Amino acid sequence: MISVKNLSHSYSNDEKLAVNNISFEVTKGETFGFLGPSGAGKSTTQGILTGLLKQQRGEVIVAGYNTMKVQNERFNKIGVSFEQSNVYSKLTAKENLEFYAKLFDVPTRDPEELIRLVGLEGKEKVRAGEFSKGMKHRLTFARSMINNPELWFLDEPTTGLDPTIAATIKDIIKEQAAQGTTTFLTTHNMYIADELCDRVAFIIDGVIKLIDTPRNLKLQYGQKLIDIEYINNGKVIKETLKTIDDHDRKRIGEIVNNYDIQTMHSKEATLEEIFIQVTGRGLV
Amino acid sequence: MLRKIFSVFGRDIRTSMRDSMAIFIIVMPVVMAVAITLFTPGLNDTTVNLAMLRSDDPSHITYMEQFAKVEVFDNIGDIEKRVNKRDAVAAIVPLESGYEIILQGNEPDMVENYTVMLNSLYELGTTKEETTTTMMSFGHTVPPLKTMLVNMLISMTVMLAGMLIAVSIVGEKADNTINAVNVTPLSQIGFVIGKSMMGGLVAMGSIIVSLLITGYYDINWFMIVLVGLTSLILAFVVGFLQGLASDDVIEAAGNVKMILLPVAGSIIGYELLADKWQWTMYWSPFYWAYKANLLVLSKQADWPTVLLCTGMVLILSLAVYFLALPKIRKGLS
Repeated sequence: MISVKNLSHSYSNDEKLAVNNISFEVTKGETFGFLGPSGAGKSTTQGILTGLLKQQRGEVIVAGYNTMKVQNERFNKIGVSFEQSNVYSKLTAKENLEFYAKLFDVPTRDPEELIRLVGLEGKEKVRAGEFSKGMKHRLTFARSMINNPELWFLDEPTTGLDPTIAATIKDIIKEQAAQGTTTFLTTHNMYIADELCDRVAFIIDGVIKLIDTPRNLKLQYGQKLIDIEYINNGKVIKETLKTIDDHDRKRIGEIVNNYDIQTMHSKEATLEEIFIQVTGRGLV
Repeated sequence: MLRKIFSVFGRDIRTSMRDSMAIFIIVMPVVMAVAITLFTPGLNDTTVNLAMLRSDDPSHITYMEQFAKVEVFDNIGDIEKRVNKRDAVAAIVPLESGYEIILQGNEPDMVENYTVMLNSLYELGTTKEETTTTMMSFGHTVPPLKTMLVNMLISMTVMLAGMLIAVSIVGEKADNTINAVNVTPLSQIGFVIGKSMMGGLVAMGSIIVSLLITGYYDINWFMIVLVGLTSLILAFVVGFLQGLASDDVIEAAGNVKMILLPVAGSIIGYELLADKWQWTMYWSPFYWAYKANLLVLSKQADWPTVLLCTGMVLILSLAVYFLALPKIRKGLS
């Protein structure tokens, strides 16, 4: 669904590259996470893929269209949800979706159904200007589904949302994926990526460091850990021990045999920890 | 494509109706037209006003009504009150022998002389039919000052279309919605046409309503529409450029107002420059549009002249359009 070969981009049209010779492919029906800290090149890449940024070098095919050529009809297959909400503040929620629905050449979804889907029922006739930041974000998200996209670009889809709404959004993304929608998810939230993505790419300083499934990454880079809390001389002691380390395994045995165990949890390395391990950088 | 363009047009109209600045821009030309109509009736009125007594000879009153606007009063007191009002009214009052003309004292000489002459002709028993004079008229029924004011209003209304587009673009920027439209099948040119339609139709509507309000019913409407539509090209370019360059509505309105300076300069140049210096204004599309509209409003226009003026507006506006196009495209990307 997406094929990127040797893509590079410079905002200053010189050798200072925001995206440096990256290549990857996203297959049909896949949920692909593009992960990295701010300024890593995520938005630049998504901008080029969605046609919002002019492609300079490399070859990009999106939904069967070469992005070097201006072909607006390709957007009939594509949905884009932006990180910054962008809806007409003087139009109501329903008017916003109705307007965008008219710009597509393919059958579109019922605006009221989409409004309900993102938890904005009852707000159909309220102008978007009166919405909170989170509500605008949900309306932007709903709009990205108006044309039943085959390829869905999501930029930080749960940022700024409360946990309940974020869970609803994640459920919608999973449901769309189950229906065969290909999703290109740009985020710096590793928990979302871990939960939703079939594969993830780590990008930093415009370079893709690795691409793999979250499971493979955990197997390859993760270390199974055990968090133990026990009582020693009346004090609660907490230790984190690796299950693959002989010394730590012996230590676990000692604690279990000699102390009063309060809590004991096994824990896998998170994608965030793996990201730091691979790139040497955090996700801020 | 057309459906999408009309969607953009419809959305812009709907949004404009919810924006106080846009409503002000839409309504202002009509208000100005009403103002011109209210404040310029005297410009049309070249007839002398007379006050006469009801007890006067009816044939005298009827005679005077052929040549002047006559008001009839019951007594001399009412006549004196009427004469003492602000406007220029002369009273003709019958005496035992002859007539007395009553004036406030500050009337133009023409009023006094005309009244005396008219009453003399009545006393001599002269009628219109007896004259050997023939009439030849150029058919100018509207005073030049009113035509000039209405023509200025048309020029201003055209530029207000640009202001309306600028306000709309600023709104899109504030809502960050241009990117959202850019990821739909609507092409950039479709977006530009849709937005221009909003400014263009509102401006053309305002121009037509303004002309009807000011009484220009029997002009050549095809010519007016042709000149108006051609002039709008430049307004669109200015609107998009200023909208993209401005961060808020006030800034956009201020920037578009600056463009009214060349408009005013062109009008002043046309009206005040001697014929031998008129060429110095040929660079301005506003000059050609003003000239063409003036001819149409004065009913002196012929198609070759109007087409020449329109052609000049078109060429000059397109030149500006193509110069500005890369900047507009970049701004909308």
